[in-house]
Amino acid sequence: MKDDGVPDGAELARLIGMVATERDRQAYARLYSYFAPRLNAFLRKSGLPSNTAEEIAQEVMLSVWRKASYFDPARAGAATWIFTIARNLRIDHLRRIRTAAVGEDEQGEIETAPSGETLLLTAEREARVREALKTLSAEQATVLRLSFFSEKAHSEIARELGLPLGTVKSRVRLALGRLRVLLEGQS
Amino acid sequence: MTIRHHATDETLMRYAAGQLPAGPARVLAVHLAGCPCCRSRLAEFDAVGGALLEAMPPAPMAPDAFAAALRAIDAQEHALPAAPFLARDAKAEVPAALPGGVPLPAALRDCEIGPWRWIGLGVRASAVKLPEDRQARLTLLRIGPGRKMPDHGHVGTEFTQVISGSFSDGYGRYGPGDLSEMDQEIEHQPIVDPDGECICLAALEGSMRLNGFFGRLVQPFVRL
Repeated sequence: MKDDGVPDGAELARLIGMVATERDRQAYARLYSYFAPRLNAFLRKSGLPSNTAEEIAQEVMLSVWRKASYFDPARAGAATWIFTIARNLRIDHLRRIRTAAVGEDEQGEIETAPSGETLLLTAEREARVREALKTLSAEQATVLRLSFFSEKAHSEIARELGLPLGTVKSRVRLALGRLRVLLEGQS
Repeated sequence: MTIRHHATDETLMRYAAGQLPAGPARVLAVHLAGCPCCRSRLAEFDAVGGALLEAMPPAPMAPDAFAAALRAIDAQEHALPAAPFLARDAKAEVPAALPGGVPLPAALRDCEIGPWRWIGLGVRASAVKLPEDRQARLTLLRIGPGRKMPDHGHVGTEFTQVISGSFSDGYGRYGPGDLSEMDQEIEHQPIVDPDGECICLAALEGSMRLNGFFGRLVQPFVRL
């Protein structure tokens, strides 16, 4: 853990591991207090009404308990793993069907055996992505963040930056191009 | 299998963000299953999602939310360990192979594959129904060797994944595993290569232009 009390990626991964192997409720409580409010905010930002956002945030956290043993640090960082659970539950919600299984099975087929090497590569990828996000210009970071959240965000960005919609779309492409250059440049 | 045509960053980002509609998302899932390069780029966009999640200013949950979570967990722990994932598996009506002995992509195994219908121009089509979205329009196309399709544009982006055979258009040659993303500004004229028929999976994002090529192709049997 860092000095400011905010758990870092390694600490979060360790907590998930403790939930998986020991069903450790204190570890779970720490994960919950860190992630639930962020999930709640994230899901609201992605356009869900606040009560639905909170329900799904809760569902995500229950999935974290249930599926902790599926967490594979060689595949994704803790926040990335939890993000993908939230994304899938949000999609399920929007399609009004309950299926927690499909995404998981699909991913399972793709998987190769984890190794020390992939673990390192994953940690490196997480760091690289975060570094690249920090290096983007403020406008590009805004464009990217907003466009990640919803389709409506394109028009939201258009309003915010006072640009026509078509221009926003090309700015999204530019921001992605820049991100790509940053990601490749560091690797 | 060398893949030469990949998903765009924008599409991968939208898939990671959970914004791609069900049809195009399935086409991409088929591509991803065969493309380590796009899987690794997708992992980067998943990591963008993780980073954005961590960067969110926390929005507090209801005061009793954690207690409710613990109660739900207790209820789970006491319930019998069921096997929920197996319940809706293995649909008997899904063929294991496509015509010509081409294996059905694993990412389509839980779909309902409709009968093949001849729809003219040397093209046969089969409607694919997705369990997660019955309204999604997803189509398998089987096009004869050397068949030239009329020029067509479309409203929204057309996602086409080659499963077997190959076609070429002004943008290159697309073989098994390749993904073509054509957006609405682009008029293109795909021609199936002369050495064999081509099977591909196509989905259109956005509204269908009914007098367009894809519209004519799909409408007669999708709307049954």
